[in-house]
Amino acid sequence: MEKRIILPGEKIAEGRINAANTFFDGKDTYATAIGTLDTTDRYMALESPYKPVVEDTVVGVITDVRHAGYEVDLNLPNSGFIPTRNVRITLQLGDFVLCKIKLVNEVGDVDLGEVRRLPIGKVLRYPPSKIPRLIGRKSSMIEVLKKYGNGDIMVGNNGYVWISEKNNMPIILKAIGMIKENAHRSGLTDEITNFLKHDGVGD
Amino acid sequence: MTEWVISLGGTKDVQLIIDGKRTDGRTLDELRAIRIEAGVIPEADGSSYIEWGNNKIVCGVYGPRECIPRHGASPYGATLKCRYMMSPFSSLEEHSRSGPSRRSNELSKVIREALENVLLLGKFPNTQIEIYIDVLQADGGTRTASLTAAAVALANAGIPMKDMVAAVAVGKASETLVVDLNKPEDNLGQSDMPIAMSHRDKNLLLVQMDGLLTKEEISKMLDMVEKSCDEIHEVQADALRRIYKTEQKEPFRW
Repeated sequence: MEKRIILPGEKIAEGRINAANTFFDGKDTYATAIGTLDTTDRYMALESPYKPVVEDTVVGVITDVRHAGYEVDLNLPNSGFIPTRNVRITLQLGDFVLCKIKLVNEVGDVDLGEVRRLPIGKVLRYPPSKIPRLIGRKSSMIEVLKKYGNGDIMVGNNGYVWISEKNNMPIILKAIGMIKENAHRSGLTDEITNFLKHDGVGD
Repeated sequence: MTEWVISLGGTKDVQLIIDGKRTDGRTLDELRAIRIEAGVIPEADGSSYIEWGNNKIVCGVYGPRECIPRHGASPYGATLKCRYMMSPFSSLEEHSRSGPSRRSNELSKVIREALENVLLLGKFPNTQIEIYIDVLQADGGTRTASLTAAAVALANAGIPMKDMVAAVAVGKASETLVVDLNKPEDNLGQSDMPIAMSHRDKNLLLVQMDGLLTKEEISKMLDMVEKSCDEIHEVQADALRRIYKTEQKEPFRW
Protein backbone atom coordinates (compact mmCIF):
# COMPACT_ATOMS: atom_id res chain seq x y z
CA MET A 1 0.00 0.00 0.00
CA GLU A 2 1.43 3.31 -1.10
CA LYS A 3 1.41 5.92 1.66
CA ARG A 4 2.45 9.53 1.31
CA ILE A 5 3.92 11.50 4.21
CA ILE A 6 1.97 14.69 4.89
CA LEU A 7 3.45 17.69 6.69
CA PRO A 8 1.59 20.25 8.79
CA GLY A 9 -0.14 22.77 6.55
CA GLU A 10 -0.41 20.44 3.56
CA LYS A 11 -3.77 20.20 1.86
CA ILE A 12 -5.45 16.82 2.34
CA ALA A 13 -8.85 17.41 0.76
CA GLU A 14 -10.95 19.92 -1.14
CA GLY A 15 -13.78 21.29 0.93
CA ARG A 16 -14.48 20.21 4.48
CA ILE A 17 -13.84 16.68 5.69
CA ASN A 18 -14.24 15.35 9.18
CA ALA A 19 -10.97 13.90 10.43
CA ALA A 20 -8.79 14.19 13.51
CA ASN A 21 -5.76 16.51 13.43
CA THR A 22 -7.03 18.64 10.55
CA PHE A 23 -8.34 22.17 10.21
CA PHE A 24 -10.63 23.92 7.79
CA ASP A 25 -9.72 27.39 6.53
CA GLY A 26 -13.11 28.18 4.93
CA LYS A 27 -12.25 26.52 1.61
CA ASP A 28 -10.12 23.39 2.02
CA THR A 29 -8.98 21.01 4.74
CA TYR A 30 -5.34 20.94 5.84
CA ALA A 31 -3.30 18.67 8.10
CA THR A 32 -2.08 20.02 11.45
CA ALA A 33 0.38 17.23 12.26
CA ILE A 34 2.82 15.03 10.41
CA GLY A 35 0.88 12.04 9.09
CA THR A 36 0.20 9.69 6.21
CA LEU A 37 -2.30 9.82 3.37
CA ASP A 38 -3.16 6.43 1.88
CA THR A 39 -4.65 5.57 -1.51
CA THR A 40 -8.21 6.11 -0.27
CA ASP A 41 -7.28 9.67 0.87
CA ARG A 42 -7.57 8.75 4.52
CA TYR A 43 -5.35 10.90 6.71
CA MET A 44 -3.71 9.49 9.85
CA ALA A 45 -1.46 11.49 12.16
CA LEU A 46 1.87 9.85 12.97
CA GLU A 47 2.63 12.05 15.98
CA SER A 48 0.08 13.62 18.27
CA PRO A 49 -0.19 14.22 22.01
CA TYR A 50 -2.74 12.03 23.80
CA LYS A 51 -6.17 13.56 24.45
CA PRO A 52 -8.19 11.68 27.09
CA VAL A 53 -11.48 10.23 25.85
CA VAL A 54 -14.26 8.68 27.97
CA GLU A 55 -14.14 4.84 28.07
CA ASP A 56 -10.41 4.70 27.24
CA THR A 57 -8.38 2.17 29.20
CA VAL A 58 -5.36 3.77 30.85
CA VAL A 59 -2.39 2.66 32.94
CA GLY A 60 -1.38 4.99 35.76
CA VAL A 61 0.77 5.39 38.84
CA ILE A 62 -0.69 6.53 42.20
CA THR A 63 1.02 9.78 43.18
CA ASP A 64 -1.12 10.93 46.12
CA VAL A 65 -3.51 9.31 48.60
CA ARG A 66 -6.19 11.60 49.94
CA HIS A 67 -9.41 11.23 51.88
CA ALA A 68 -11.54 11.93 48.82
CA GLY A 69 -9.61 9.59 46.55
CA TYR A 70 -6.33 9.00 44.72
CA GLU A 71 -4.27 11.18 42.40
CA VAL A 72 -2.93 9.23 39.39
CA ASP A 73 -0.08 10.10 37.04
CA LEU A 74 -1.42 9.37 33.55
CA ASN A 75 1.31 10.86 31.31
CA LEU A 76 -0.99 13.85 30.85
CA PRO A 77 -0.56 17.56 31.70
CA ASN A 78 -3.00 17.15 34.60
CA SER A 79 -3.08 14.13 36.90
CA GLY A 80 -6.17 11.91 36.93
CA PHE A 81 -8.34 11.34 39.97
CA ILE A 82 -10.00 8.20 41.36
CA PRO A 83 -12.87 9.22 43.70
CA THR A 84 -13.23 6.90 46.73
CA ARG A 85 -16.74 5.86 45.64
CA ASN A 86 -15.33 4.46 42.38
CA VAL A 87 -12.88 2.07 44.06
CA ARG A 88 -13.37 -0.83 46.46
CA ILE A 89 -9.72 -1.77 47.08
CA THR A 90 -7.24 0.27 49.11
CA LEU A 91 -4.37 1.59 47.05
CA GLN A 92 -0.95 2.80 48.13
CA LEU A 93 1.45 5.42 46.91
CA GLY A 94 3.37 4.11 43.89
CA ASP A 95 0.88 1.39 42.96
CA PHE A 96 0.33 0.71 39.27
CA VAL A 97 -3.32 0.72 38.29
CA LEU A 98 -5.36 -0.11 35.21
CA CYS A 99 -8.55 1.93 34.99
CA LYS A 100 -11.16 3.38 32.66
CA ILE A 101 -11.79 7.06 32.03
CA LYS A 102 -15.24 7.98 33.36
CA LEU A 103 -15.31 11.74 32.90
CA VAL A 104 -13.28 14.39 31.08
CA ASN A 105 -14.08 18.07 31.39
CA GLU A 106 -13.21 20.91 29.02
CA VAL A 107 -9.88 21.80 30.66
CA GLY A 108 -8.68 18.19 30.67
CA ASP A 109 -9.37 17.04 34.26
CA VAL A 110 -9.90 13.27 34.28
CA ASP A 111 -12.03 11.12 36.62
CA LEU A 112 -11.33 7.39 36.65
CA GLY A 113 -13.22 4.22 37.59
CA GLU A 114 -13.18 0.40 37.23
CA VAL A 115 -9.83 0.30 38.98
CA ARG A 116 -7.60 -2.77 38.97
CA ARG A 117 -4.30 -2.91 40.79
CA LEU A 118 -1.43 -4.29 38.70
CA PRO A 119 1.25 -6.52 40.29
CA ILE A 120 4.91 -5.55 40.50
CA GLY A 121 6.41 -4.75 37.13
CA LYS A 122 7.73 -1.93 35.04
CA VAL A 123 5.87 0.99 33.48
CA LEU A 124 7.24 2.35 30.19
CA ARG A 125 6.47 5.63 28.48
CA TYR A 126 5.49 4.99 24.86
CA PRO A 127 4.35 7.49 22.18
CA PRO A 128 0.52 7.47 22.44
CA SER A 129 0.08 7.89 18.68
CA LYS A 130 1.90 4.58 18.10
CA ILE A 131 -0.13 2.56 20.65
CA PRO A 132 -2.40 0.99 17.98
CA ARG A 133 0.66 -0.62 16.37
CA LEU A 134 1.81 -2.02 19.73
CA ILE A 135 -1.58 -3.69 20.18
CA GLY A 136 -1.86 -4.82 16.55
CA ARG A 137 -4.90 -5.88 14.59
CA LYS A 138 -7.22 -7.82 16.94
CA SER A 139 -4.38 -7.52 19.51
CA SER A 140 -2.10 -9.77 17.44
CA MET A 141 1.11 -7.98 18.37
CA ILE A 142 0.45 -7.97 22.10
CA GLU A 143 -0.43 -11.69 21.97
CA VAL A 144 2.94 -12.40 20.36
CA LEU A 145 4.74 -10.40 23.05
CA LYS A 146 2.85 -12.16 25.82
CA LYS A 147 3.53 -15.60 24.32
CA TYR A 148 7.27 -15.19 23.93
CA GLY A 149 7.80 -13.08 27.06
CA ASN A 150 5.96 -15.58 29.28
CA GLY A 151 4.22 -12.80 31.18
CA ASP A 152 1.49 -10.24 31.18
CA ILE A 153 1.56 -6.86 29.43
CA MET A 154 -1.03 -4.09 29.80
CA VAL A 155 -1.20 -1.25 27.31
CA GLY A 156 -2.96 1.97 28.23
CA ASN A 157 -4.26 4.36 25.58
CA ASN A 158 -2.41 7.14 27.42
CA GLY A 159 0.99 5.78 26.41
CA TYR A 160 1.91 3.93 29.58
CA VAL A 161 2.76 0.26 29.09
CA TRP A 162 2.93 -2.01 32.12
CA ILE A 163 5.13 -5.10 31.83
CA SER A 164 4.92 -7.84 34.47
CA GLU A 165 8.17 -8.70 36.20
CA LYS A 166 7.61 -12.35 35.21
CA ASN A 167 8.46 -11.37 31.63
CA ASN A 168 11.78 -11.96 29.95
CA MET A 169 12.44 -8.25 30.43
CA PRO A 170 15.48 -7.51 28.16
CA ILE A 171 13.97 -9.27 25.15
CA ILE A 172 10.54 -7.70 25.60
CA LEU A 173 12.01 -4.22 26.02
CA LYS A 174 14.06 -4.70 22.86
CA ALA A 175 11.00 -5.90 20.94
CA ILE A 176 8.94 -2.92 22.12
CA GLY A 177 11.79 -0.62 21.09
CA MET A 178 11.75 -2.20 17.64
CA ILE A 179 7.99 -1.69 17.30
CA LYS A 180 8.42 1.97 18.30
CA GLU A 181 11.19 2.54 15.73
CA ASN A 182 9.25 0.90 12.88
CA ALA A 183 5.68 1.82 13.81
CA HIS A 184 4.93 3.15 10.30
CA ARG A 185 5.97 -0.06 8.47
CA SER A 186 3.66 -2.87 7.40
CA GLY A 187 4.18 -6.56 8.19
CA LEU A 188 5.63 -5.76 11.59
CA THR A 189 4.00 -8.60 13.56
CA ASP A 190 5.80 -11.24 11.47
CA GLU A 191 9.09 -9.41 11.88
CA ILE A 192 8.71 -9.25 15.66
CA THR A 193 7.67 -12.93 15.84
CA ASN A 194 10.81 -13.81 13.89
CA PHE A 195 12.98 -11.69 16.17
CA LEU A 196 11.53 -13.23 19.35
CA LYS A 197 11.88 -16.79 17.97
CA HIS A 198 15.50 -16.34 16.97
CA ASP A 199 16.65 -14.41 20.01
CA GLY A 200 16.87 -17.32 22.41
CA VAL A 201 13.28 -17.36 23.56
CA GLY A 202 12.22 -20.23 21.34
CA ASP A 203 8.78 -21.82 21.22
CA MET B 1 40.73 38.16 9.44
CA THR B 2 40.87 40.06 12.72
CA GLU B 3 40.18 43.42 11.12
CA TRP B 4 36.45 42.94 10.64
CA VAL B 5 36.05 41.68 14.16
CA ILE B 6 37.35 44.97 15.54
CA SER B 7 35.64 47.43 13.21
CA LEU B 8 31.98 46.60 13.79
CA GLY B 9 29.24 48.80 12.35
CA GLY B 10 28.02 49.50 8.84
CA THR B 11 30.62 50.81 6.47
CA LYS B 12 30.99 51.19 2.74
CA ASP B 13 34.77 50.93 2.86
CA VAL B 14 34.93 47.16 3.21
CA GLN B 15 34.59 45.37 -0.10
CA LEU B 16 32.23 42.47 0.67
CA ILE B 17 31.26 41.60 -2.87
CA ILE B 18 33.73 41.17 -5.71
CA ASP B 19 32.56 40.15 -9.22
CA GLY B 20 29.16 39.07 -7.89
CA LYS B 21 30.79 36.69 -5.41
CA ARG B 22 30.53 37.07 -1.63
CA THR B 23 33.11 36.51 1.10
CA ASP B 24 32.45 32.77 1.19
CA GLY B 25 32.17 32.39 -2.57
CA ARG B 26 28.37 32.35 -2.78
CA THR B 27 26.31 34.20 -5.37
CA LEU B 28 23.93 36.93 -4.21
CA ASP B 29 20.81 34.81 -3.73
CA GLU B 30 22.50 31.58 -2.68
CA LEU B 31 21.88 30.07 0.75
CA ARG B 32 24.58 28.48 2.87
CA ALA B 33 24.51 24.67 3.03
CA ILE B 34 21.68 23.54 5.34
CA ARG B 35 21.41 20.15 7.00
CA ILE B 36 18.56 19.31 9.37
CA GLU B 37 18.04 16.18 11.46
CA ALA B 38 14.79 15.55 13.33
CA GLY B 39 14.29 13.43 16.44
CA VAL B 40 17.84 13.66 17.81
CA ILE B 41 16.90 13.79 21.53
CA PRO B 42 15.20 10.53 22.53
CA GLU B 43 13.84 11.86 25.84
CA ALA B 44 12.23 14.96 24.28
CA ASP B 45 8.76 14.90 22.72
CA GLY B 46 10.23 16.48 19.61
CA SER B 47 13.70 17.65 18.66
CA SER B 48 15.87 18.80 15.81
CA TYR B 49 19.44 19.68 14.99
CA ILE B 50 20.40 22.16 12.31
CA GLU B 51 23.68 22.95 10.62
CA TRP B 52 23.30 26.12 8.61
CA GLY B 53 26.68 27.11 7.23
CA ASN B 54 28.78 27.36 10.36
CA ASN B 55 25.77 27.67 12.68
CA LYS B 56 25.08 24.62 14.78
CA ILE B 57 21.89 24.63 16.79
CA VAL B 58 20.03 21.96 18.73
CA CYS B 59 16.38 22.35 19.64
CA GLY B 60 14.09 20.34 21.92
CA VAL B 61 10.34 20.55 22.46
CA TYR B 62 8.60 19.30 25.61
CA GLY B 63 4.89 19.22 26.23
CA PRO B 64 2.04 19.84 26.44
CA ARG B 65 2.59 19.32 30.14
CA GLU B 66 1.62 20.80 33.49
CA CYS B 67 2.11 24.57 33.54
CA ILE B 68 4.67 25.70 36.10
CA PRO B 69 4.20 28.14 37.82
CA ARG B 70 0.51 27.34 38.11
CA HIS B 71 -0.59 30.99 37.86
CA GLY B 72 0.94 31.17 34.37
CA ALA B 73 -1.61 28.65 33.06
CA SER B 74 -4.43 29.86 30.85
CA PRO B 75 -7.81 28.11 30.51
CA TYR B 76 -7.94 29.41 26.92
CA GLY B 77 -4.93 27.48 25.68
CA ALA B 78 -1.41 26.30 26.23
CA THR B 79 1.28 28.73 27.33
CA LEU B 80 4.20 28.68 24.92
CA LYS B 81 7.61 29.11 26.50
CA CYS B 82 10.75 29.55 24.50
CA ARG B 83 14.33 29.75 25.67
CA TYR B 84 17.04 30.69 23.19
CA MET B 85 20.55 30.38 24.58
CA MET B 86 23.99 30.95 23.13
CA SER B 87 26.68 28.71 24.54
CA PRO B 88 29.66 30.53 26.06
CA PHE B 89 31.92 28.90 23.48
CA SER B 90 29.67 29.56 20.48
CA SER B 91 31.49 32.44 18.82
CA LEU B 92 34.53 34.71 18.78
CA GLU B 93 32.70 37.40 20.71
CA GLU B 94 32.40 37.41 24.46
CA HIS B 95 29.37 35.43 25.64
CA SER B 96 30.66 34.73 29.15
CA ARG B 97 28.17 32.77 31.20
CA SER B 98 25.23 31.28 29.39
CA GLY B 99 22.07 32.61 30.89
CA PRO B 100 19.42 35.19 30.24
CA SER B 101 20.81 38.33 28.67
CA ARG B 102 19.26 41.24 26.80
CA ARG B 103 19.98 39.56 23.49
CA SER B 104 18.75 36.07 24.36
CA ASN B 105 15.59 37.46 25.98
CA GLU B 106 14.78 39.34 22.80
CA LEU B 107 15.40 36.36 20.56
CA SER B 108 13.36 34.04 22.78
CA LYS B 109 10.51 36.52 22.57
CA VAL B 110 10.54 36.99 18.80
CA ILE B 111 10.80 33.24 18.16
CA ARG B 112 7.93 32.54 20.56
CA GLU B 113 5.71 35.20 19.01
CA ALA B 114 6.41 34.00 15.48
CA LEU B 115 5.44 30.43 16.41
CA GLU B 116 2.33 31.43 18.40
CA ASN B 117 0.80 32.45 15.08
CA VAL B 118 0.89 28.97 13.58
CA LEU B 119 0.38 26.73 16.62
CA LEU B 120 -3.14 25.67 17.62
CA LEU B 121 -2.55 26.29 21.32
CA GLY B 122 -6.27 26.42 22.13
CA LYS B 123 -6.42 22.62 22.04
CA PHE B 124 -4.43 22.27 25.27
CA PRO B 125 -5.87 24.46 28.03
CA ASN B 126 -3.97 24.87 31.33
CA THR B 127 -0.74 23.42 29.95
CA GLN B 128 2.61 24.65 28.75
CA ILE B 129 4.73 23.81 25.73
CA GLU B 130 8.44 24.46 26.10
CA ILE B 131 10.96 25.05 23.34
CA TYR B 132 14.63 24.95 24.25
CA ILE B 133 17.07 26.26 21.67
CA ASP B 134 20.80 25.93 22.28
CA VAL B 135 23.27 27.56 19.91
CA LEU B 136 26.44 25.48 19.91
CA GLN B 137 28.22 27.45 17.23
CA ALA B 138 27.22 30.84 15.85
CA ASP B 139 28.14 32.53 12.58
CA GLY B 140 25.44 35.09 11.83
CA GLY B 141 21.74 34.37 11.37
CA THR B 142 21.14 32.25 14.45
CA ARG B 143 17.62 33.60 15.02
CA THR B 144 16.47 32.49 11.59
CA ALA B 145 18.21 29.14 11.91
CA SER B 146 16.71 28.66 15.40
CA LEU B 147 13.22 29.40 14.14
CA THR B 148 13.67 26.96 11.24
CA ALA B 149 14.86 24.26 13.66
CA ALA B 150 12.07 25.00 16.17
CA ALA B 151 9.41 24.49 13.47
CA VAL B 152 10.89 21.06 12.67
CA ALA B 153 11.04 20.10 16.35
CA LEU B 154 7.41 21.13 16.89
CA ALA B 155 6.27 19.10 13.88
CA ASN B 156 8.32 16.18 15.20
CA ALA B 157 6.54 16.50 18.58
CA GLY B 158 3.15 16.41 16.86
CA ILE B 159 2.02 19.73 18.31
CA PRO B 160 -0.86 20.77 16.02
CA MET B 161 0.20 23.62 13.76
CA LYS B 162 -1.49 25.29 10.81
CA ASP B 163 1.69 25.78 8.87
CA MET B 164 5.42 25.16 8.69
CA VAL B 165 7.69 28.14 9.28
CA ALA B 166 10.97 28.91 7.54
CA ALA B 167 13.12 31.94 8.19
CA VAL B 168 16.02 33.65 6.42
CA ALA B 169 17.80 36.97 6.63
CA VAL B 170 18.14 39.38 3.72
CA GLY B 171 20.24 42.50 3.75
CA LYS B 172 22.41 44.97 1.96
CA ALA B 173 26.17 44.64 1.81
CA SER B 174 28.37 46.91 -0.34
CA GLU B 175 25.22 48.46 -1.91
CA THR B 176 23.98 45.06 -3.10
CA LEU B 177 21.00 43.02 -1.89
CA VAL B 178 22.04 39.62 -0.56
CA VAL B 179 20.21 36.62 0.96
CA ASP B 180 21.31 34.75 4.09
CA LEU B 181 23.95 37.04 5.55
CA ASN B 182 26.97 35.53 7.21
CA LYS B 183 28.96 37.07 10.05
CA PRO B 184 31.13 39.56 8.02
CA GLU B 185 28.13 40.73 5.98
CA ASP B 186 26.03 41.09 9.11
CA ASN B 187 28.65 43.14 10.95
CA LEU B 188 30.09 45.20 8.10
CA GLY B 189 27.12 45.39 5.74
CA GLN B 190 24.68 48.30 5.61
CA SER B 191 21.46 46.55 6.49
CA ASP B 192 20.15 43.26 7.82
CA MET B 193 16.53 42.09 7.85
CA PRO B 194 15.63 38.66 9.31
CA ILE B 195 12.27 37.46 8.02
CA ALA B 196 10.15 34.43 8.96
CA MET B 197 7.48 33.27 6.58
CA SER B 198 4.81 30.59 6.81
CA HIS B 199 4.93 28.13 3.94
CA ARG B 200 1.28 27.69 2.95
CA ASP B 201 -0.15 31.20 3.03
CA LYS B 202 3.15 33.14 2.92
CA ASN B 203 2.37 35.21 6.00
CA LEU B 204 5.19 37.27 7.49
CA LEU B 205 5.66 36.09 11.06
CA LEU B 206 8.83 37.98 11.93
CA VAL B 207 10.36 41.08 10.43
CA GLN B 208 13.22 42.87 12.13
CA MET B 209 15.56 45.39 10.56
CA ASP B 210 18.98 46.86 11.23
CA GLY B 211 20.21 49.78 9.14
CA LEU B 212 18.33 51.59 6.41
CA LEU B 213 16.47 50.34 3.34
CA THR B 214 14.20 51.97 0.77
CA LYS B 215 10.64 50.86 -0.04
CA GLU B 216 11.72 49.43 -3.40
CA GLU B 217 14.55 47.47 -1.84
CA ILE B 218 12.22 45.91 0.74
CA SER B 219 9.69 44.77 -1.85
CA LYS B 220 12.52 43.27 -3.89
CA MET B 221 13.85 41.54 -0.77
CA LEU B 222 10.46 40.00 0.06
CA ASP B 223 10.48 38.23 -3.31
CA MET B 224 13.97 36.93 -2.60
CA VAL B 225 12.85 35.69 0.82
CA GLU B 226 9.86 33.84 -0.60
CA LYS B 227 12.08 31.90 -2.99
CA SER B 228 14.65 31.10 -0.30
CA CYS B 229 11.99 30.05 2.24
CA ASP B 230 10.65 27.53 -0.27
CA GLU B 231 14.16 26.08 -0.56
CA ILE B 232 14.48 25.88 3.23
CA HIS B 233 11.07 24.26 3.51
CA GLU B 234 12.24 21.48 1.19
CA VAL B 235 15.12 20.72 3.59
CA GLN B 236 12.74 20.77 6.57
CA ALA B 237 10.29 18.45 4.82
CA ASP B 238 13.09 16.08 3.87
CA ALA B 239 14.30 15.92 7.48
CA LEU B 240 10.81 15.10 8.77
CA ARG B 241 10.09 12.52 6.06
CA ARG B 242 13.45 10.80 6.57
CA ILE B 243 12.39 9.54 10.03
CA TYR B 244 9.65 7.44 8.48
CA LYS B 245 11.69 5.94 5.65
CA THR B 246 11.16 2.23 5.24
CA GLU B 247 14.75 1.27 4.53
CA GLN B 248 17.42 1.07 7.20
CA LYS B 249 18.52 4.53 8.20
CA GLU B 250 22.00 5.65 9.16
CA PRO B 251 22.47 6.40 12.85
CA PHE B 252 22.60 10.09 13.67
CA ARG B 253 26.03 11.68 14.03
CA TRP B 254 26.68 15.10 15.50
